[in-house]
Amino acid sequence: MTMKLTKHQQEMLDGKLGEAKRFCMEKLVDFGEAVDSKEMVDLVLVLNCCPIYSKDRQHAETKKKLEMYDLGHSPLYDPIFAMKDAHVADESGTQCGNDPYLAQFDKVEEKGYPWNFELPGKGSYKIDGEMVTDLKAGYDKLQEHGWLPWMSCQPQVNTCIPKMGEYCASSESSAAAYINTILGARTNRESPINTVYAAYTGCLPKYGSHLDENRAAKCIVELDDETRDNMKGAADWAALGACIAEKALNRIPAVLNLPSKMGPTATKQIVSACSPGMNDPMMHLMGYTPESPTLEAAFKGNMPKNPERFTITMDDIVEMFRHINNIMPAPGPERAKPVDIVIFGCPVATFEEVREVARLVKGKKVKEGVMLWVQTDTPNYHMAHEYGDAKIIEDAGGKIFHQTCMCMNPVRHYPQGITIATDSFKYVKLGGGFGMSWIFGNPPALVNAAITGVFTPSARWDYWAKPQKERLASEKERPLYSKPFMD
Amino acid sequence: MDQKIVLTGIARAKGKASGEALVNRQRMGWAFNHVGNEDGIVLVPGADIQGKSIIGKVVVYPTVLGSTTGSISLYYKCTQSHHGPAAIICQTVHPIDISGTIAGGIPAVDSLDQDPITTIKSGDWVEIDAPKVGQKATVTITRKA
Repeated sequence: MTMKLTKHQQEMLDGKLGEAKRFCMEKLVDFGEAVDSKEMVDLVLVLNCCPIYSKDRQHAETKKKLEMYDLGHSPLYDPIFAMKDAHVADESGTQCGNDPYLAQFDKVEEKGYPWNFELPGKGSYKIDGEMVTDLKAGYDKLQEHGWLPWMSCQPQVNTCIPKMGEYCASSESSAAAYINTILGARTNRESPINTVYAAYTGCLPKYGSHLDENRAAKCIVELDDETRDNMKGAADWAALGACIAEKALNRIPAVLNLPSKMGPTATKQIVSACSPGMNDPMMHLMGYTPESPTLEAAFKGNMPKNPERFTITMDDIVEMFRHINNIMPAPGPERAKPVDIVIFGCPVATFEEVREVARLVKGKKVKEGVMLWVQTDTPNYHMAHEYGDAKIIEDAGGKIFHQTCMCMNPVRHYPQGITIATDSFKYVKLGGGFGMSWIFGNPPALVNAAITGVFTPSARWDYWAKPQKERLASEKERPLYSKPFMD
Repeated sequence: MDQKIVLTGIARAKGKASGEALVNRQRMGWAFNHVGNEDGIVLVPGADIQGKSIIGKVVVYPTVLGSTTGSISLYYKCTQSHHGPAAIICQTVHPIDISGTIAGGIPAVDSLDQDPITTIKSGDWVEIDAPKVGQKATVTITRKA
């Protein structure tokens, strides 16, 4: 073995600290050898997905259901769950928690949610009861072991916030990108196999994005001033992130000329484009990324004389909107495409996003037969209930929920031929092969689609979709982004 | 006469395996929305091997693309649904796929002395001998005359 272990790590490997720690250390050491790791890092955060804890996975009927609902991770927990001494965070202090999964537990039987709904004339979907029971059994077992009930893909924004230079293991790509880029802590887009073993030991081989040399910028991506000044909605930020990833061609970029105030939604949306767009979960957003106060620092002291440089213009952003809308294009007339589901919150909606939807839909009614869904994390879900935003959304006929995410349901078993409208680049990319059509737009246009039943491009889109020359000629008529934050 | 090519690379997951090659020039992942867990069929729109079954094949591709769940889906296909590949060969085996192949019990090889994407053709018979992780692995390619 070439990896150097601390006394504590060696004791775990030797089985002196129990069977579970020995089992997990052996797996981590095997992986460490494969990636030429020299040592382990201590972790402050592990983010993984809860298993569906079925007692008999080979039972024909259960097996069939698991092939529909399980991401493939659940059997990995079986040997650990069988060990009496399995526990996380005990000596390491590593905080471990889970992604959202199948449903909101207290509303499994209620209709009109991603786990239980009917679209008149198109079909219906209802989650299997046995799978929910077995998932609950998985959560219960994890709680017994000391895992925390995050059920969020973004715990790093409000529940467990790693600090600069600390190490994490996030199998959630968008959280990984945020942890590296915005918080300055270090994580790979970690394999959800490693995160199981890392949770029970509190350590992980040092490799990939943990290392300085793999965090260095390799090129520069620069926004032109017009782009910098006109990024407004959640979809704009997601499209910008996708443009950065596209220009950087799977290399880590240093991004220049960003707006001086990017809030929680903007940063979340930009970096989450890393996941479908890039392999390394890292961008140097100059002015934001804590470890990169200067370009020289972003390049880790190895900045070439003339680094490769790309520019992003509003034409690129508009082209990216067109591209995302054409991955699985929705049928219907250009200015009135029928929608079945309008969904916000991938990654889970910030409170800012929840409030924006509430203000847009206030006093209006979602069209019958159309779903308006807002998925968020547990803190924001309860804030929205406390401060009235949830009531506004529900009075309008929409739904707000937590603990789950539409795409953690087997959406390939949703009614076929439906159209889903979203402001998430990640959703369109992930759901692209599953038989539904996707519309990508900003919240005002999406809420309008939920109310009218058809997606119509906004006046703002019409303006930006014009060739630049015509745009400049009609500069005075530029429509503003309607962000009705004032009551 | 059959043509034989022997390449050497580095084992990222150990094992011995043989099978027909399936070469994909694009990056790819193993998540269930890329390769079906229940049937091993490639779903990625626009991939060279879209619609093909990877069951028992030696799959050759540049490196990973997309979700981290590729690792657990690869593990699941190899050990649970038995619809997995026999082995993988990449220009660089990404850590996501390293952990998936180790847990799945199939060999993974990269850093070959010739580019596997251009050297290996779909339909070639490929034998892999990768006895130890991080050490030399041999890839023997047999092409029918």
